[in-house]
Formats: sequence, C-alpha cells, structure tokens
Amino acid sequence: MQMDTNSGSKKLVSLICLIAGVVLAVVALIQDISGSGAGWRGPALIIGAVGILFGMYLFPTQKHHRNIINFIFVFPLLFTFGVTVIIPLCLGVFYSFSDWDGIRMTQMVGLDNYISMFRDPAFLWSVLITILFVVLNMILVNVVAFCLALLCTQKLKGVSFFRAAYFLPNLIGGIVLGYVWQFVFNNVLLKFTNNISLLASTNSAFACIIIVYIWQYAGYIMLIYVTGLTQIPGEILEASQIDGANAFTTLFKIKIPMIAATITICTFLTLTSAFKQFDVNMALTNGAGAVTGFMGKFLTNGTQMLALNIYNTAISKNSYALGQAKAILFFVLLAFVSIIQVSISNKKEVEM
Amino acid sequence: MRNKMARMFVTAVAIMAVTAGLSTSAAADEIRLVNGKIEVDAQLKKLAEMYKEETGVDVTIESMGGGIDIQGTLKGYYQSDNMPDIFVNGGATDFANWEGLLVDMSDQAWASDTDAAYIDDQGTIGFPYTTEAVGLAYNADILEKAGIDPATLTGPDEIKAAFETIDGMKDELGIKAVVGYCAEVVNLYWSTGNHLFANYIDGGLSRDDTTYIDMLNDGGQLDMDRFAKFADFVGLLNQYSDPDLLVSGTYDQQILNFASGQYAFVTQGSWIGATMTSTDADAYASAGNFKCGMVPYAFEEGMDTILTNSPSWWAVYKDGNVEAALAFLQWLSEDTAQEVLVNEAGFVSPFKSCTFVANDPFAQTIMDYQGAGKTSAWHWLNMKEGLAQNATGQVFGMYAQGQLDAAGFADAMQSVISDYYAQ
Repeated sequence: MQMDTNSGSKKLVSLICLIAGVVLAVVALIQDISGSGAGWRGPALIIGAVGILFGMYLFPTQKHHRNIINFIFVFPLLFTFGVTVIIPLCLGVFYSFSDWDGIRMTQMVGLDNYISMFRDPAFLWSVLITILFVVLNMILVNVVAFCLALLCTQKLKGVSFFRAAYFLPNLIGGIVLGYVWQFVFNNVLLKFTNNISLLASTNSAFACIIIVYIWQYAGYIMLIYVTGLTQIPGEILEASQIDGANAFTTLFKIKIPMIAATITICTFLTLTSAFKQFDVNMALTNGAGAVTGFMGKFLTNGTQMLALNIYNTAISKNSYALGQAKAILFFVLLAFVSIIQVSISNKKEVEM
Repeated sequence: MRNKMARMFVTAVAIMAVTAGLSTSAAADEIRLVNGKIEVDAQLKKLAEMYKEETGVDVTIESMGGGIDIQGTLKGYYQSDNMPDIFVNGGATDFANWEGLLVDMSDQAWASDTDAAYIDDQGTIGFPYTTEAVGLAYNADILEKAGIDPATLTGPDEIKAAFETIDGMKDELGIKAVVGYCAEVVNLYWSTGNHLFANYIDGGLSRDDTTYIDMLNDGGQLDMDRFAKFADFVGLLNQYSDPDLLVSGTYDQQILNFASGQYAFVTQGSWIGATMTSTDADAYASAGNFKCGMVPYAFEEGMDTILTNSPSWWAVYKDGNVEAALAFLQWLSEDTAQEVLVNEAGFVSPFKSCTFVANDPFAQTIMDYQGAGKTSAWHWLNMKEGLAQNATGQVFGMYAQGQLDAAGFADAMQSVISDYYAQ
C-alpha cells in the first residue's frame, strides 16, 4: 500500500515535470526559429530540458529505470557532441549542395560544387602536394624523431635538457613559428642564398615548409619514442649484451621490434597531423608559389595545401559553398585514414 | 531525499528566472564599430571616449587590420548573431555581400556634405571617412638635389631618364636605391596586385571611366596594348628598385627606408604618411622631415592623374542599433570629430564643410591634385574578390624575380586572370 501511494504521487510529479518541460522547450524552440528574439527563450529551453530530465528520473518504472539513469548521465556529453559536431557536420553537407555565400543561400545546386572542384587544376594541385607532403613527412619526421629519441635515451650528461629543448618548438604556436621562420628565410639566410629568398620559388618554398614542420613536430614524436624505448625491459637488453649483441644488432633485433606498436601510433599521428597542416603553411608562404604548365594552366598556389585551399576558397574567394564541398572531401579522406588507423591498432592490441 | 531534490530544482528554476530577467535588459545606448584601419585605432578610441562624455553613448571600437580577412570575420559574426552596428566595407563586392541588410543614409545631414559616399541602387549605404591616394610617392629633397622637377615627369621616357640620373648619383645623394618597390608575394600581394595594378585600370582616366574594369569583369580580359606599356613600366620599377627589398622585403622595411631618406621614390600610397610621422618619426626627423609628393604612374605619355578615393566606407547594419549608429556617424562628420580625425589620424577629410588641413606629408599633394581636378577613381575595388591574393600578386613577384620578361608577364597575367574569373 505504502508503495502504491508513493508511486502514485511520484507519477503525478513526474508527469507534471515532463509536460511542463516539453512545453517550455517547444515554446523556446518556436521562438528561436521564428526569430521573435524574446530574451528569456534561452533560460526557458534550459529549464525545459532540466524539467524533462527530472521527470524522467522520477518516472516510476522498474523495467527501464536503469536505462533512464544511464541516459541522464550520458545526456550532457551527447548534447554537447550533437551541438558542436553532429549539427555543424549535417549543415556542412547540406550547404555543400547549395550556393551558400556565408550570409544567405538562394538555391540548391546539386553536385555542381563537387564537379567544379574536381575540374579545378588549382585544387587538384593542392591535393597532390598535400599527399606528397604527408608521405615525405611521415618518413622524415619519424626518422628524425627516432634518432633524437635514441640520442636522448643514452646515458649522457644533460639528457633531460636536450629532451626539453627538442620538445620546445612544439609548444610554440604554428602561426608564430611560421612568421619566425619567414624572417629567417627572408632575411637571415639571404646572405647564403645569393640574395634570393628560399621562399621565392615553389620547390624551395615547399622544402622550407617541410623543414619547419619537422622542426616543430619531431620533438613531440621523439617524446613518444623515448617513452617506448624506456619501457623496454632492462633484463632483455642485459641478456642481449651477455649474448654478445653489439649496439647495431640491439637496435634492429631488440629495440625496434619491441616498440613496433609505438611506431604504428607515431606513423598515424604524423600522417593525420601532416594532412591537416594549416597554420605553418599559412604564416610561412600563404600558399604562394608559381607553377607553370600544370594541366595546361598557370597556377599561383604552388605551396597551398588542402586545408589552406579550403580556407582560401571560402574566405578570400568568397565561395563558401564550394569551400564546404572541399571540406567534405577532406573529412572523408581523414575519416578513411582514421578508420584504418583504429583497425590496425586494434589488431595490434589483440596480438599483444 | 525527494524533498531535497525538489527544493534544489525550485531554487535552480528561480535563479534562472532571475538571470533571464537580467539578461533581457541590454542597454540600448551602446554601439559597436568594426574599423578596418588598425593604424587609427587609438584615435578612434579617443573619439569614442569624447562621444561618451558628450552623449553618454558607449561606442566600442573593434579594429581589424593587416592580413585579417574582414569580410570573412564579419560573416562569422553574422552567423553567430553578433553583428556590429557599424562596419567597414571596401567596395562593390563587399557591399553586394550585404544586399538588403544595410541602412540607406541618404536622408542624413552629412550625405549632402560630401561627394565620396558610397551610393548604389540600395541608396547611400557607405559613410566615407578619409581620402587616400595612389601615386608614385617621391622624396622632394632628393629630387631637388638631383636637379629633377617632379612636374616634368609626365611620361615613361621622362621617368626613365630621371631614374637613370638618380641612379648615377646614388653615392652623391646618399641613397640606397632609386625606388623602394616591393613585390613580395606572401604579405605584400595587395600592394602590387591591388594598388599598382589599379594604375592599369584607372591611370590617366576620368573618374567615371570604367573601360578597363568593365573589360576585366567581363571574364577577365586585359587590353594587351595598354597592359604591355604597363608591363614595361613595372619592368622599370624592377630594374631600379632596391634588390634587398624587391623580392623578400617587408612593408615595414619599405616605409622605414623611405622615411629615412634612402629611396627617392616609393611605390606606396598616401597612407604611409601616418606611419612616417608616428612609428618611423625618429628616422623621418633625422632625414630632415623632407617634403613628399606624388607623380602619376605615367606608363603612357601624358597620364597626369593620381588615383584618389575613399579606401573603404562604414555601413550601418539594419538590425543593429540604427538610431544611435546614425547619430554617431553624423557626429563624426562634424567639426569636433573632424578635428581629431584630420589632425591626429591624418585623414584627408571627404567633407566639404571641413576646414582642417592635415599636417600629413601627403595631404598637400592630394589637395593639389584634387584642386586641379587631376584625379582618377579606384575601380580596382570592384575586381573579383581575392584576385590580388590568389592570382595577380604572384605574377608581379615572378616578374620581379626575373622568372618572366615583360611579354611573359603580360601573357601570364592574362592567363591567370581569365582562369580566376572562369572559376
């Protein structure tokens, strides 16, 4: 009996909360969509949402109670994820099929943006050099970082100073780094390059971006390798020494196989971050560089990588919808890489 | 337990209701202005304070400058419902972005006091605030010492001869190079791609002559005869420019070297006057605070105009605080504010009733050309958005580096521009 009356009143409170919450939330949303702009619509939405959650919490059910509690706990994160990731993504896909200019859209244009994107030699050039950049960096950053890590795990004086020093460039923002190095290439190094800046021609400017990128990123990857190397059990190294392995054999037969998992992680880390390269690219060359005769065209975006191309298309060329279409392609490429990465690391974990 | 939760719930609701009540009472006497000339940020903030003292209205100045893409930022503001009440627009392309969202100001008192307002079929939508000029700026002292009268520089041959004379006297005059011309592509594309290229579009033409901008906007065509002469002239600049500056210099170096008397000419417009008298004031003073002037970029014989215009305009957003914004603009066009704008910000007032004359090094030369009616307009403002940054700046850079000759420069320019317009 006690249970019954209790759950009866509980049900009533729960229903009141639920109904009031839904009404408040709906009114707030209607106001927002119709643009009436009443100042209290934000708080109304929040109070409504809290009301709904509270009503759900009080709802007298044995069967679903656990699920409801789970949902309430996950809700804040789910909501944030939806608002900051899912909704913009859907809007982005939608805009890529329209003629949106950043302020308004007048019509849907179907696949036009996607078609004109693949017919644009400048964009294809950007895709090409981005791939080249990713491949070069994946190799160079890892080789440099691994060598630094080997150095920094030797028993030398001041090793921790060197570790910190190599890592330091990573703490400086890419824009600042870009401008610092621009000064270096345009002023300091001029004495050695016959008064012609390395940033002036496309090929050398591209090499400059790679150098700066390695300088920025190798220290970070080095730290991961250092962690991997220090986790190799001492007894294995000792045993190999007793068996008469020299430093070279130890490196290739023991150290590298032991940190294979770290190498996978680092490879993918450099891959995705090189793919997304933007800030150094923008500050250092802003995509400038001449290319004669690519697909019969004279291009002026010799060092413009994919992310910067998307940004320029939308912002400086004022074609937001086209930029959005390019961004969707960018997203698909990156998602593809990430899925491969996840499946490979999952397999590795199972093996271990 | 339940009681406690219920009480907490009620409290939360009460707090929210109170904060909601507070947040609706946003002040009505606040306006925000997005300014595109960061070099006059301090002066505008001073005006904002004066205005606050006079009327009690809070004016927030938000300055954006240099490489920031102002239109891109404004679109971001628009999407996030954070539009300023007054914001800067640079020309037809910019104004077209905001079609239907701007206030027609033709009924304002200032509108009848100026010829420089931005007017199109939406009405008077742009408030002019200064006049800027593009011409080949010169150091009058050096020219005088070299025995050259700037008034005689009326065609490419005369200018070439003058460059040669000065080049031969470099040590005597104590200068580093004849011209400070910089075609660096990453940060200075706007100087070449917009302002120098503007002379191809408007040089020597009357203010309403749109021949070459119309051709350009019709699929990116160039008049190759005219452009060939322009290309030869740019070649002259390449040849006599400071080699340290030409390919990889910076704006700061260019202005500093001119202000310290190391160049006879510089390829920047009248806006450098403000830098010369503030940031570079010491260098300018030790070079004797020399007189400055401008000659036309006369790449054809007889071109006798410099290009003057309001470089950008302020527009009022129709869903903002319109009344207060209009009142502020009206106040800006009147004497109290004009005094600060002219004397401290170095603006050349576009308002007829303004009697102040700036002591800016270039103010006099602008007034002289305007008085003689020898000015052309800035139709480059109507070029396709991003043309200089994404296309033409690079070609000027290649010409400066010697990768192209004059004919190659003209061909590359034609091909790059028509590709850009085809996109």
